Amino acid sequence: MKLRIKQALIIARREFLTTVRRRAFLLTAIGMPAYFAFVMTMAVGGSRNEGRDVLRSFSSLGVVDSSGHFAAAPAEIVTDFRSADNPFAGGSSESESQSFHTSVRHYASQEEAERALRAGEVSQVLVIPADYLERGAVRRYSSNFSLFSSADRRPVSSWLVRGMLAGRTDSIIARRASLPMAEMQYYALNKDGRFELKDDRREVLDLLVPMLFAMTLGLCIVVGGQYLLQGVAEEKESRILESLLCLVSPDELLLGKMLGLGGAGLTLVAIWLSVGAFGLGTVALAVRPEIPIGLVLIVIAYFLCGYTFYGSLMTGIGSLAGSAREAQQFSIAFTFANFLPFIMMTMILAKPNGTLATVLSLLPPTASTAMLLRLTAPGSDVPGWQVALSLALLLVTAWFTLRLMSKIFRVGLLLYGKSPTFPEILRWMRA
Amino acid sequence: MLEIREVSKTYDGRAVVDRVTADVAAGEIFAMLGPNGAGKTTLIRMITDILRPDSGTIRIGGLAPGDVGPAEIGYLPEERGLYKRSKVSEVLAYWGQLKGIEAREAKVRAMKLIERIELAEWADKPVQALSKGMQQKVQLATALIGDPKLLILDEPFTGLDPVNTQMFEQILFERRAAGTTVILSTHQMNKVEELCDRALMIHRGRVVLYGSVRDLRRRFAEHAILIHADAPVPAVPGVRSVLAQDGGYKLSLEQGATPHEVLRELLNRGVAPDSFQLASLPLEDIFIKVVRDDLGEDTPVPEMAGSR
Repeated sequence: MKLRIKQALIIARREFLTTVRRRAFLLTAIGMPAYFAFVMTMAVGGSRNEGRDVLRSFSSLGVVDSSGHFAAAPAEIVTDFRSADNPFAGGSSESESQSFHTSVRHYASQEEAERALRAGEVSQVLVIPADYLERGAVRRYSSNFSLFSSADRRPVSSWLVRGMLAGRTDSIIARRASLPMAEMQYYALNKDGRFELKDDRREVLDLLVPMLFAMTLGLCIVVGGQYLLQGVAEEKESRILESLLCLVSPDELLLGKMLGLGGAGLTLVAIWLSVGAFGLGTVALAVRPEIPIGLVLIVIAYFLCGYTFYGSLMTGIGSLAGSAREAQQFSIAFTFANFLPFIMMTMILAKPNGTLATVLSLLPPTASTAMLLRLTAPGSDVPGWQVALSLALLLVTAWFTLRLMSKIFRVGLLLYGKSPTFPEILRWMRA
Repeated sequence: MLEIREVSKTYDGRAVVDRVTADVAAGEIFAMLGPNGAGKTTLIRMITDILRPDSGTIRIGGLAPGDVGPAEIGYLPEERGLYKRSKVSEVLAYWGQLKGIEAREAKVRAMKLIERIELAEWADKPVQALSKGMQQKVQLATALIGDPKLLILDEPFTGLDPVNTQMFEQILFERRAAGTTVILSTHQMNKVEELCDRALMIHRGRVVLYGSVRDLRRRFAEHAILIHADAPVPAVPGVRSVLAQDGGYKLSLEQGATPHEVLRELLNRGVAPDSFQLASLPLEDIFIKVVRDDLGEDTPVPEMAGSR
């Protein structure tokens, strides 16, 4: 039977519409970004507030100075806190600044200082031994302990520097010595050969862009593939296929499903990206990240090849499995392979042209996400031949997988009540 | 309408369908019989182009199954199901579209069929809200949409109540009157006797019976007659034994005696029967006998199962 595109498009339309109209789809489309927004808000907001809270509660420092070098040290510490330079906060590069004051009280002995700490007269106690200058060892005592913030470390360090220099140099030098790089501008050579001012927002985006690109690509492939897996397994389970196969060929059914459910997967990821872009909008506007058109074309090529490869695998598994649950269990290994580069992301981003990153970007199961991580990693320079080879290998593998899975699909669809043995599957592939 | 010539299909070295040859005429209701695993479903799948024969040819209206348009064949498989979450009207319209009907027209035809199967108030309900019998009617409608020239129904009456069974039968007669050829695969032999013109029986992939239902019954008829009469039946020439049965008598005839001669002898002796008929085996007994004969087993055919 010839491949009738019209039949495939009718199937694709139905698959797409029934999938995107499902309550589960809408729930995933809206629920996932809401979940991430909640997690990010809790994580970022929580850490910011944690630092601020630690400094606010650090109102007094008890000092037991056995070295004798801090008699002329300042009686008050002023700490400027700048919203942790949060890259997700607002469009202005000016960050909100707040000053916290900590008074310093001297105690003759550690016992006396500890007593004051227990009585709540001071927030912390700093014990400076007689041999401090030689060994640099100090002991800090606190009535509470913050797991996530070390914001109170900076004012203590600053006070020690100013204390040691007090009387030995003028106060301006002493103040600067305590914070030698309070304001720093860091310039790095960009790809155009010019030095570019690096800022925290840019650095965060440099890390986020490769992650987002690769994650989006991986998600598109996996979500579309999972819809295929579920769709085929459910149809097989509900015994619809025999009636359908009287009207359409297995190839038309396969093509229609891949188009329709791939489209549904793309729609889902597009919704997530739109919500994400809205969330990151102010940062993106401030920094204006450049996304070259060549990269976009490469992403599309990897999506098409990767989805064909992964989607046809999922279709084959779905047609072989006895139920949707069994199909899910079989598919886990392949889904894991697609996300393996994310597990190794730090190694790939640290050495985008290293052996591990190169091998992963050439192996078809991991190529899509690994190559995207490499291409968008800061400072990477992937040779063009590697991209071409990776795409060629993926394309050839995708084509063969599609042909093999199409054969399995034809036979597996009509197989009810039993799972085939491995030799049987091999025989179908060879047929 | 349908020509099957020397068609074979082999799985794992075993001939599931073995050189089957048969013809189905346009407008007839044709029974496809056989025990479980006989090869009926495989043969049907080859007719519907789901499977290809290893050898032999199938022609539908002179065309290979792959060249026949999707609207030409309506198929109700034994392994059946529907999209549970979709509305009844949507499912039927989708099937119509896959049969080449334009979307708008498919909706119109879907609604007409829904009315015919008396499910109009369920048209906008999801399939899963319907009872099993209702779902079976929708399933039949998926086979009927597009007015196919060849309708293949595999066990269509399973699970239906008498009212819906009657509706299915009426629809079959309507279709036959409209010129549709119907292939009916079923284990319900009484339905074959009621509905079908001819039958093909396959066992272990091979044809073991083929012909008109009347001829088959005649071929397997006992050499006996059944009569109902008020008077007791006397001994007459040509009658080997007389057995009282079901308020009448069964007369087993001697070799060479004919029913007409025996009737004449009875009338000559003053016995006027209220009814007179040949004793033939019901199709179910023929089915069992043929299968057992093919397996080489003794066939304890029931002494009498009545004439139908």
